Amino acid sequence: MTNAIDLKKVSKYYPDFKLQNINFSVPKGAIVGLIGENGAGKTTTIKSILNIIKIEGNITVLGKDHKDKEKEIKQELGVVLDDSFLSEYLTAKAINSIMKKFYHNWKEDQYYSYLKKFKIPLHKLIKDFSSGMKMKLKIITAISHQPQILILDEPTSGLDPIVRNEILEMFRTYILEDETRSILISSHITTDLEQIADYIVFIHEGKILFDLPTSQLLENYGIIKCKEQDFHMIEKNDYLHYKKEKYQYEVLVDNKYEIQKKYKLKTIDKPTIEEIMLFYVKGEKE
Amino acid sequence: MKGLIKKDLLNLASYKTTLLILIIFCSIGIIGTESVTIAPIVIATIIGMIALSTFNYDESSKADKFILTLPLTRKEIVTSKYVLAIGSIIIGGLFGIILTIILTNFINIIRPNDLITIDYKSLCITTLCGMFGIALIQSIQIPSIYKWGAEKGRIQMFILLFIIILAILGISFFFTKFGFQIEEQQIESFLNQFGVWIISILMLLMYLISYHISYKIFSKKDY
Repeated sequence: MTNAIDLKKVSKYYPDFKLQNINFSVPKGAIVGLIGENGAGKTTTIKSILNIIKIEGNITVLGKDHKDKEKEIKQELGVVLDDSFLSEYLTAKAINSIMKKFYHNWKEDQYYSYLKKFKIPLHKLIKDFSSGMKMKLKIITAISHQPQILILDEPTSGLDPIVRNEILEMFRTYILEDETRSILISSHITTDLEQIADYIVFIHEGKILFDLPTSQLLENYGIIKCKEQDFHMIEKNDYLHYKKEKYQYEVLVDNKYEIQKKYKLKTIDKPTIEEIMLFYVKGEKE
Repeated sequence: MKGLIKKDLLNLASYKTTLLILIIFCSIGIIGTESVTIAPIVIATIIGMIALSTFNYDESSKADKFILTLPLTRKEIVTSKYVLAIGSIIIGGLFGIILTIILTNFINIIRPNDLITIDYKSLCITTLCGMFGIALIQSIQIPSIYKWGAEKGRIQMFILLFIIILAILGISFFFTKFGFQIEEQQIESFLNQFGVWIISILMLLMYLISYHISYKIFSKKDY
């Protein structure tokens, strides 16, 4: 089966930052979460896919080269960028009249029904919208031509939990409507991704540290909290990273059930994606 | 591309009051001075400059990045800006000519003893000369904006214009110093004979060169 998006050996060099040898895929019908701290390379990766920046390496979208078939591919993409939109000086009504000129498949009725559902005013200038309203309008605009792939850069950043939840619900509905649709979503709010992502790609300082199914991360990964003497009993090959805290050691493992059995441990804590991320960034490995 | 032009026109809708005031002032100017050249030049100039302010709207909304996610080629994005720029001076010039003709006829109706005659050929050449000036500014400014952004691009444009003016002054100084005589009448008759063609071809050339430079800059640019 063709993946929705494939990145092979993608690199981009800036004077102060390098995106190095990025390889990952967004399978059809899946939601892939791209996580990492600010400046890790999430937006650069998204810009690479969209051909907004020139890169080294190969990217295919729906099986087509992202440069050669750019226009064709973009008919099938819905994009939400955190800091960029058509214009702040237009109304939601004007956005409809403009966007229908770009997309063959623009669904005017659907656009207006979403605006009504999410209480987005038709005649108010976008610059006067709240952050939540702006983001909802961007998402509505991105999905109203029924794209096969949604690419979202930090869509929930800076929003309150209620709006974030509404937005995540929009993504779930979008995927449920057609199971061949895919989403690539970048965020540093990992709790949002725990709720909706099927795969997590963790990018750190321009490199991918892991690319795993969310279920594997949440079910198989574990944190052992132990004293120093107990920590030294754990074989180096049995853990990924450890952190030396004030009173104890915290150890991240990726096969918690086997480790629990092997070392006869009573409990191993279930980590959040944020905790796993912190182990990879701040933790140590001997 | 139609979508981009529509976006720019909708962004510019906020200028409608400015344009109305401009038309009123031009009308007063024509009636007051009985000059038949003022309106086309002023209106083409202002509309031509307003068209360039769409770059400022794009910059303040950081729209360039989003526009590049739409099903458009970079060539279409650049072309849309030139269509708007060229369209604005043509519409401005034509509107100025029409306003001049209407107002002059109006003055002639209410004051039949002292008729104002319009030399249509001269009106067209004057309008074209005005349009040429704006075309020159647009041709320099659009690539500058693509290269340096709307704010910095404007500064670069003023520097370039300053250099052009200095060069023209330098040439005229050179002519005067070495005794070359330029007869105004000769220039006028030359312009009357070939002016429309020369100015039109020069404008076309300027826009073509400018378009190629803009496209080259934009096609290589990362956002």
